[in-house]
Amino acid sequence: MNKAFTIALAGNANVGKSVIFNQLTGGKQIIGNWPGKTVEKAEGLIEQEGLKIRVIDLPGIYSLSTYSEEEIVSREFIARERPDLVIDVIDASNLERNLFFLLQLIELEVPIVVALNQYDVLEGRGLEIDSAKLSNLLGVPVLKTVATKNKGLRELFSLAKEILLQGKKPTGIVRYGKEVEERVERLIQEIQREGDLPYPPRFVALKLLENDPLIASECKSGALLTLAKELRKELEEIHGEQAETVIISERYSVASRIAESVTRKKETLQADFTDKIDNLFLHPVGGYFILLLLLLSVFFIIFKFGSFLSDEISTLFNPLIQYLENLPLPGFLSGLLVHGLVEGIVAGLAIVLPYIAPFYFLLAILEDTGYLARIAFLTDSLMHKLGVHGKAFIPLIESFGCNVPAILGTRVMERKRDRLITSVLATLIPCSARSVIVFGLVAVFLGPIYALLLYLIDFLLIFLVGLLLNRYLKGLPSGLIMEMPRFRKPVLKIIFRQTWIRLKDFTNFALPIIVGANLVMEILILTNSIEPISRIFSPISWFLGLPAFATVALLFGFLRKELTLIMLATFYGTTNFGAILTGKQIFIFGLVTMIYIPCIATIAALKREFGTVKALLVTLGEIVGAIIIGGLLNFLLRACG
Amino acid sequence: MTLAETKSGSKVRIIGFRHPGAGFIRRIQEMGILPGSTVEVERNIFSGPVELFVRGTHLAIGRGIAARILVEPLNE
Repeated sequence: MNKAFTIALAGNANVGKSVIFNQLTGGKQIIGNWPGKTVEKAEGLIEQEGLKIRVIDLPGIYSLSTYSEEEIVSREFIARERPDLVIDVIDASNLERNLFFLLQLIELEVPIVVALNQYDVLEGRGLEIDSAKLSNLLGVPVLKTVATKNKGLRELFSLAKEILLQGKKPTGIVRYGKEVEERVERLIQEIQREGDLPYPPRFVALKLLENDPLIASECKSGALLTLAKELRKELEEIHGEQAETVIISERYSVASRIAESVTRKKETLQADFTDKIDNLFLHPVGGYFILLLLLLSVFFIIFKFGSFLSDEISTLFNPLIQYLENLPLPGFLSGLLVHGLVEGIVAGLAIVLPYIAPFYFLLAILEDTGYLARIAFLTDSLMHKLGVHGKAFIPLIESFGCNVPAILGTRVMERKRDRLITSVLATLIPCSARSVIVFGLVAVFLGPIYALLLYLIDFLLIFLVGLLLNRYLKGLPSGLIMEMPRFRKPVLKIIFRQTWIRLKDFTNFALPIIVGANLVMEILILTNSIEPISRIFSPISWFLGLPAFATVALLFGFLRKELTLIMLATFYGTTNFGAILTGKQIFIFGLVTMIYIPCIATIAALKREFGTVKALLVTLGEIVGAIIIGGLLNFLLRACG
Repeated sequence: MTLAETKSGSKVRIIGFRHPGAGFIRRIQEMGILPGSTVEVERNIFSGPVELFVRGTHLAIGRGIAARILVEPLNE
């Protein structure tokens, strides 16, 4: 048997799809406790007993009438590509809303297995669900799982395989009220006569009654659309509500009835831990105070830990470099080997890694606890001034790690305008590579207060750019609709794994670039080409008040931002930057590195999401902006002495 | 009154929407905020989103959207 089957993991946001995906396929999807982590589908392959199964992890989706961009990915995949089976992952502690989606999925008539996930949370509330009864009522198999503890997943997968091989579709149909069903029936007759849509007639009929714009746009039959419009009008007259409200209400009343009939109270409810904590974390004054305190502690932990580790690692490698330098090799070769290759690797390990490792570790903790959604809540008003809503803050926080996934992550925003604004702001957020410059150069040689000052200047700039974009881009800001995840105790294993996945990206992808650039630099030095190159840029160097070589180092930052600092170290043959740059130069160098251009990977991400023109505009704008701001600061500082 | 004008800790019933055709109105209905449903206002402070408890979960709704949700207070 060589046919590959496809299983898709679908369900509401933040129910544990990616956790199940990782456990089943050994995949490395980013997970965390906030809605909207997965914005693009991920794929893994399982081969078992001669059976090939593609497992697809889909972004969270609340309804098959989609709203935001990441949901469209899920809907398109389920409705059009028709996986052989869908595992609908349900948050057991939030049955009603999750059933709302499942009811629509059943109408699509794909084979389904339901994973009643996070069952431990439900039990923790003193509740239980009769899964056999649920399965009977819906006509689909239901299994209890706790994905984070790998409970029930083996059974889930083998059940999925069984259903898959049988191609067994849901049995039984969930019926709605009489007025709706009569009209569904009339539409089905018309649909069967026309028969041009790739979906089951009942699904189409309900979506047409719901006035779903996507299904309507796929309908070629004018007669069908006219009939649907007439029937919607009838429904609206009977119920005194919009037709969409009628259908959504019908679905919810079925979902609510089912949820109630299968849920039982085992013991009395304990007070909800999340509620208590939220009174503190979302407090109108205290909440912001905690946020500020938390960000400051993150800053100081990264600085203290990073600079300590950086020293240790440098010391560790010193004997090796000395040994290699003393080898009787021809000068050119020795230069390439020692300064190009070995020092490139050491720079990556000693300058970059010590700062990004603790950063990713702390980010993983923030992600896993559910605090990120609280930040979105707290910053909603502020973000509205920039033309986006609070959810934008999540990709912005992710941006401190790397801008590339953050730009992709803006898909949680519902509209193109929001996505563009958020992405532009994201490119101005100092990613981990830029933080390396701030911590490793500015904080170490000028003191942490100056590093904080740089961040403040940058945040001020982001705020101003946001204000301007909101003012001059067409359209109105949209509003926040976000499910607040429960707080959860961070699981150490997951946090380490998450940190490791991101660090692996660094060693596999960034380190080779750093070493390669270092080799190029060494060749430039050995062939005496630095002089002429820096002469070309001398007007900029003059304007910024930087030594000629520093401007060349900035050029390398185009590849990866860490390189600006590493190139300085390679060129001057020292990491004691205090000896080569004055305090003023260090500050300006740090500032310009922070804002001047997104690296090449970020530009590529911008281009993919928004097109070449916008990507170029953002890039040019940031180069020019950074040079002007750096230059103005230079002259200001000079004037002040 | 609208959801934006409610007090923290109060219980209200949804009675309808301003601009019912808008995309976000469809979405909040799909999240379970429907005419006739009862919701608890957990947090509503002068600015920032309104936090609701509805159908077993906590939802944060931006102030602009909250101002388009019409509600009536329920007396305990």
